[in-house]
Amino acid sequence: MSIRVSNLTKRFDTRLAVDDVSFALGEGEFLAVVGPSGCGKTTTLRLVAGLEQATSGEVYFGDRPVTRVRPRDRNVAMVFQDYAVFPHLTVFENIAYGLRSRGAPRSVIQERVPAAAKMFRIDHLLRRKPRQLSGGERQRVALARAMVRDADVYLFDEPLSNLDAQLRHQAREDIQALHREKRRPSIYVTHDQTEAMALGDRIAVMRNGRIEQIGTGAELYERPANQFVAFFIGTPSINLFDVTLRAEGDALLAEGPALTVHLPPELRERAAGHVGRAVRLGVRPEDLHVPRQAPFPVGPENTIHGVVNVIEPSATGCAVYLSTVDARPQDFTATFKLRLPASYLGREIPLAINLRKAHLFDAETERAL
Amino acid sequence: MPRIELVDVVKQYDAGEQPALRGVSLTIEDGETLSVVGPSGCGKSTLLKIIAGLEYPESGRVLYDGQDFTEITPQDRGVGFVFQDYALYPTRRGRGNLSYFFETHGRDEAERDARVRATAELMGMDFELLLGQMPDTLSGGQKQRVAIARCIVRDPHVFLMDEPIVNLDAKLRERTRVEIKKLLRQFAITTVYVTHDQQEAIFMGDRIAVMRAGQIEQVGTFDDLYYSPANLFVATFIGAPPICVLPATVAGGEVRLDEARWPLPPDLAAELPEGPLRLGVRPEGWELGAPDGAPLEVRNVEHIPTERASFVHGRLAGVSATVIAPLEYQARERTLVRPVWEQALFFAAEDERTLRAPGAPELF
Repeated sequence: MSIRVSNLTKRFDTRLAVDDVSFALGEGEFLAVVGPSGCGKTTTLRLVAGLEQATSGEVYFGDRPVTRVRPRDRNVAMVFQDYAVFPHLTVFENIAYGLRSRGAPRSVIQERVPAAAKMFRIDHLLRRKPRQLSGGERQRVALARAMVRDADVYLFDEPLSNLDAQLRHQAREDIQALHREKRRPSIYVTHDQTEAMALGDRIAVMRNGRIEQIGTGAELYERPANQFVAFFIGTPSINLFDVTLRAEGDALLAEGPALTVHLPPELRERAAGHVGRAVRLGVRPEDLHVPRQAPFPVGPENTIHGVVNVIEPSATGCAVYLSTVDARPQDFTATFKLRLPASYLGREIPLAINLRKAHLFDAETERAL
Repeated sequence: MPRIELVDVVKQYDAGEQPALRGVSLTIEDGETLSVVGPSGCGKSTLLKIIAGLEYPESGRVLYDGQDFTEITPQDRGVGFVFQDYALYPTRRGRGNLSYFFETHGRDEAERDARVRATAELMGMDFELLLGQMPDTLSGGQKQRVAIARCIVRDPHVFLMDEPIVNLDAKLRERTRVEIKKLLRQFAITTVYVTHDQQEAIFMGDRIAVMRAGQIEQVGTFDDLYYSPANLFVATFIGAPPICVLPATVAGGEVRLDEARWPLPPDLAAELPEGPLRLGVRPEGWELGAPDGAPLEVRNVEHIPTERASFVHGRLAGVSATVIAPLEYQARERTLVRPVWEQALFFAAEDERTLRAPGAPELF
């Protein structure tokens, strides 16, 4: 079975929460939906579940339009951010709930509930009530409840956002295990782009009720459709510098208050139609290098200067947070595979830009060139 | 700005319950930012309230520049507090939030206006705009800037922050924490910053205190905590994905697991006691595809283009293990792995104290 969403729109009073959204999901495909708060990702999920009524547009499960089908008749399993476990029921009854309410035979319940509990390491807690459980355990009860069902579609609404970092990695594995077992189309909503990368076969990036781009993690990262996607995908975020393009002989210069650089051939082609116009130069933090470590020749034509504000150490080196050196200093970030000593705090340093990996965006439309 | 010392502080909310703080001693240097991190319920917020004077300890002392402040009221400590819910006065514009303190403390208008103006300048570009707005028209990040400015305008000697950006979404958090850190550097105010997020603790703190169950397990820089953890708890708490911890036995110059044995380099073998212990290996501390390795049963591989890496999740000798691999790593059901011994950590089997840690590498 597959899912198809076509021209889906949801209006709350005057606010357009979901604005003409279309996408399709293959059999067994896992789609992660990311975006900032209020972008419409959760509403989209609730429309697929039937928990919200669409203003217009259709949802299909396979060939069957389900837009006007009640949620319980859509055969959807959903895992919520707050786990939505029933406080008065034991862990066993919580897991069994979906089966019982659909009239599953006792033998099926007796077989499946302990098996699912075992899979998520809560088989020793079956007689407990939710208030006796930790957040991580409650979350696994919610996963086990989805696991026992034979739903056609699995939906996840930020199920990990209440867990701390250590538990989140394990929980991610649990969700992958659930998906491997079920192989049903799944939609997973999160505001955490790393989680989306880890889980999604493809990722949809939403803003203001619309899907800005949908693709694999690598596609979104390496070929973002616009400035918003470039900014949203990747931590620390891509650096964006306002520049104007100017031709000088064979060279094409990008000039701005923070830097003046010569664009390499790859970018020159794409920028050809924008000479004399304002564009934005996007540089990922990993494409800024300490000059002596740069894997390419370094000169004034590919260098930017910055004052070091913060050095954040990591196991692989560090992230350095800087300000540009100009009248209106702008924050930017570089990640190094070396550790910059603390004595650099407050100092101005040169950084070499790997311009072959840079991005250009139209300053007005914010579309990638 | 004061240097703050806590000496053997005990705080117990309810008789018969576990104390919230069980004899905490800690020094925060003048102008330093100390992050306090730990799982929920570890006592980190209580610690902050004791420093602020919002709670008084059952025993122990709180010193500001060597002076006993244990019984001094919060108003007289010169502390500024920033909470996670911003706690702005909802009926006052940004400017009104900043000037409130001066109005309620009978200060004159000239001082008030001068302080508000100076603070707005320090807060940087565009802050003037926020002064004219009501709190409910501000974004979460803007509210937090106003809350911080309201703190700064009073010229505090100590900054106390309790999860100030936890309610912001990921992208906004990334930007706001840079702004906060820049301000802290600029003012060099002694600061205690409480968070449950280790990454934020590392970012904000000159040093980081790791707490568990009312006690401080270790205080140090990122390198101290990551490469020389005091015990297994600190090693497990700091680092994501987490360290893999294998129950093992050292005997005859080897590390023995259930299904594998690895010969130890001689100098390491000489350093370790024979008998049971725990071996800790961080995700980057494995050699993948080592011919003399032990079998890792691969459960799944996450390719993360934004990290330029893959995470190989599997089981080794019955324990979950995550191994960092190149982005293009192709999944196999089974691969052989061996710890990179220079990076391995060893902990005592009985009390989880560190037996051997690599120390910070000469990376760089």
